[in-house]
Amino acid sequence: MAFLNSTINKLSESSYYRFLLPLLILSAFALSIYLSIQSEEKSVFPELATDAFTFTAWINAGEDYLKDHYKWITRLIASFVKLGYYGFEDFLLDSSWLFIAALMIIPAFMVGGLKLALLFTFGIYFWGAVDMWDPAMESVALMGLSVLLSVIVGVFFGVICSQSDRFESFLKPFLDTMQVMPAFVYLIPAMFFFGIGAAPAILATMIYSMPPIIRLTNLGIRQVPKETIETATSFGSSKTQTLFKIQIPLALPSIMMGVNQTIMMALALIVLATFIGAQGLGAEIWIAIRKLDVGYAMEGGLCVLFMAIMFDRFGKALSAEEKTLPSESQKFYLLPQDWEIYPLAKIIEKPLGIVHSIITIIFKIVIGIFSYLSFQIVSLIKVDYGESIQRFLNNHFYFFSGILILCLISIYDFVGPGIGQFPESWTISIREPIESGVRWLTVNPTFIAFTKGLRYYVTIYLMRPLDTYLTFMPWWYVMSAFVIISWVSVGVRFAAVTALLLLFIAACNIWTQAMITLSSVMIAVFFCFIIGVPIGILASYSKRFQNVNEVILDAMQTLPYFCYLIPVLMFFGGGVVSALIATIIYSIPPIIRLTVLGLSQVSVTYSEVSKSFGGTTLQTLSKIKFPLAVPSLVMGFNQTVMMAFAMQIVTPLIGGKGLGKEVFAGLARSDTGRALAAGIGICLLAIIIDRISLAYTKKQRDALGL
Amino acid sequence: MKFSTKTISALILSSFLVLVGCSQEPKEGAKMTRAVADWTGGMVTGEVAEQILEQELGYTVDSVVFPSGTGLWEAIADGSDIQVGFESWPSYAEADDVMINMPLKYDGKVVKEYSGDGSIEAYTNGIIGSSDYFVPKYFVDANPDFKDWRDLNKYKDQFATPETGSKGRLIGCAVAGWNCHDQKRLDLLGIDFEAVELGTEVAALAEAQAAYARKEPFLLYFWTPHWFQGAYEMVGVKLPANVDCPSYTEANNWKDCGTDAWPATGWAKDYTMNYMNPDFFAKPEMAKAKGFFQKMKLSNDDQAAMINEIDKNGRDIVAVVQEWKDNNKDKWSKWLP
Repeated sequence: MAFLNSTINKLSESSYYRFLLPLLILSAFALSIYLSIQSEEKSVFPELATDAFTFTAWINAGEDYLKDHYKWITRLIASFVKLGYYGFEDFLLDSSWLFIAALMIIPAFMVGGLKLALLFTFGIYFWGAVDMWDPAMESVALMGLSVLLSVIVGVFFGVICSQSDRFESFLKPFLDTMQVMPAFVYLIPAMFFFGIGAAPAILATMIYSMPPIIRLTNLGIRQVPKETIETATSFGSSKTQTLFKIQIPLALPSIMMGVNQTIMMALALIVLATFIGAQGLGAEIWIAIRKLDVGYAMEGGLCVLFMAIMFDRFGKALSAEEKTLPSESQKFYLLPQDWEIYPLAKIIEKPLGIVHSIITIIFKIVIGIFSYLSFQIVSLIKVDYGESIQRFLNNHFYFFSGILILCLISIYDFVGPGIGQFPESWTISIREPIESGVRWLTVNPTFIAFTKGLRYYVTIYLMRPLDTYLTFMPWWYVMSAFVIISWVSVGVRFAAVTALLLLFIAACNIWTQAMITLSSVMIAVFFCFIIGVPIGILASYSKRFQNVNEVILDAMQTLPYFCYLIPVLMFFGGGVVSALIATIIYSIPPIIRLTVLGLSQVSVTYSEVSKSFGGTTLQTLSKIKFPLAVPSLVMGFNQTVMMAFAMQIVTPLIGGKGLGKEVFAGLARSDTGRALAAGIGICLLAIIIDRISLAYTKKQRDALGL
Repeated sequence: MKFSTKTISALILSSFLVLVGCSQEPKEGAKMTRAVADWTGGMVTGEVAEQILEQELGYTVDSVVFPSGTGLWEAIADGSDIQVGFESWPSYAEADDVMINMPLKYDGKVVKEYSGDGSIEAYTNGIIGSSDYFVPKYFVDANPDFKDWRDLNKYKDQFATPETGSKGRLIGCAVAGWNCHDQKRLDLLGIDFEAVELGTEVAALAEAQAAYARKEPFLLYFWTPHWFQGAYEMVGVKLPANVDCPSYTEANNWKDCGTDAWPATGWAKDYTMNYMNPDFFAKPEMAKAKGFFQKMKLSNDDQAAMINEIDKNGRDIVAVVQEWKDNNKDKWSKWLP
């Protein structure tokens, strides 16, 4: 092995390297095509091995054993979770809608000012307006509790990780698996152990959404500068004190980012949770889809989308630094602060500023009176207490005026005429326009001619050849290609791991399906690349385009994919092409985002230098900016690949093939082992490709000295 | 520290949400939890049963939306959260052979024998499903020569898609677990079509709906009663009548009986069943409910009328079923134990 390494090193130094390596790759490729054409049928692993390796049977036996012996423990946990959930849910459903709305809008106003409060008002109005108040409340309860538990457990594990390297490296593969393992695979087994309804849904959501918070807590604590810790130690802090007083507070921005990502991932499971009996928006969406009611499903999807954006912006506002403005500039409440240069924006903001100060004054006066009264009352007992209470109340006038408003609403609801249901006259319906839009496109001859053409070319010239190529190529050839790539890019040890993981896939007798999955992912990523990179370049040059782009990308990532599966299928026909389009929609955002990031991070100096030497914009882009942005691009590519793999479990719902279909076939027959083997197959492929591309990014970064 | 007191108080205020909880008042009467099916027909059957159980027999019925499939069967067999499900179709139930251990009876006659582990018991509910391959009516109108499945090969070019090449396409049984054996049937009958599995019933229907909107010919595996039937005009291709082939099982390595019997024929009639947890319904306070389930017999026509009201006229299911119940006392009073 050392010999090979040194040979590679020598080769890379020599001038032949330039010609030899492409030649080698080319001839390997030619050989693979030859082998693929030669073989008469799809490549299969020797039956001797697949028959002996009865992974599925072992899993099923293990599951039965656990079910028989340890179910009472899991049921106990489930009953606690359920208790919490129903308490929360009943509170949300039994309270009047106005009370709940105030309860959400007031904190939003405190944290994020008028802008966030307006966003919340709109989102909450939308839930009621499309007549989904109750499901939305159920979903809020479900997601709220999942996120809360994820954060508590996740921060705990993250802190342990940051303290012990060994624990960190032990946990890492588990975190990878938790994120990539299709939730469908553990959803049904979760039901056996935790019953149906909210409890297993919350626990399954936790499995899926916990990795980011663990990772980012760990990262945040580890990133605290050594000097800071040393200072603390030299002042005599114990290890625990340093951790809780210095490291965790300093890691808060990173932890908050983890919370944000956890929220996003939890919301992604909202529809899947329906499959184990969780109620809420997910159930509404699923029933609408069963009836092909695209408009209704989209309304439900938008409710989820707004919920995600609200939670996300709330978290961001909470962790954002409070900017201090120069004293002469006008504070903007609604529009972005950098629009200060436009006079019109100033005029619009003027009244808002006045309203803001009026509200503040009213709140201050009300709380002033209230605190004065409390001061008078408490002073009867002891003057000191009275004074401190008055000071406390006055300092927290926002908080107490919030409570006051909530109390007034409750009193009005209980004593007064009552608030009742969300007013019916306020409802809006967007399902009709969506419905007719989809219907119009479905029969539009030009559009259908385009989709048919696309479907034809992609099937005949892209998917079928690649599928055939990969499935007919002998398994040992594919395996050795992977092993060599892992060896060159990562190292010997990972090459051995790769070989082992691929042998597992082959031994489970799912090699053909794995190759089909690989081919679907490759084609999807290829399209993401050729569509996403140009969009990213455009966005990095035009701020206005980027603003619009951001909103669309947010929507693409948080809108439940169930909402667009049906329209896509109606336009592109059921089967692999629709599966491909759905995969592209889901997995394109990271590559666009990271292209923009990579290009805009290139320091202005480089492009200035290039320009001063007479480089055109195009030259600057291709010669300077692009090469420097490569690490970012590879990172985006990597994430896109991960998401494309994750989507492979969903596409069988509209005719996708490969390992995902195998998962469904297993679940349909109550064969957890079979489903799990296929699920693990997807994970393993994803992990191998993830590691290889990460190693490549690292090399690029090192080479560029970043 | 960038966490101002303002944000902290906001946090406290939001946690107010969690702290205040109200407990639900317990309801009266013996209680059961039923699954709400995710298709209209199943919903109607379940709602009819719920209203009779609640209004006539004094039970309290909770309902949970639960997508049908093996997961639901497992949940009912477990019985702790959910005890009864409605309108399972034997042809599409993936778990019935494994979990039921009793004869399924309709009108006193045994329609299917089961020998599973007995973790589920099931009774027919009156709805009889039938399956066939269908083409849209506009296709038959445009091609009056087209009589039945024997003519399919003549028109196969019209049914071809990029994926199937020169062969025609059948939008087949969406899920492998349904055991339709579409491709095998096509091959045995010499129909030069390819069966495409779209993964979910929804996908197959969406595909059909889009093709219908574009007035393209398509061949669809399908069953009645279903809301799709009310919304779109479809014509069956009249596959040969069902004949059983005992050797055609997985254990027997799918040894077929040639063109005379299954799977070269159409489907057997589906005597749909309500299925429940045996231990739960063996309790004395559940005796009346069990008696009701043994006698329930909703007719296809009644269900189809209600499906139409709900899906075409957009009315609320509870109101539609209540209206039917108020007007048809003579029918359902016979089902009371």
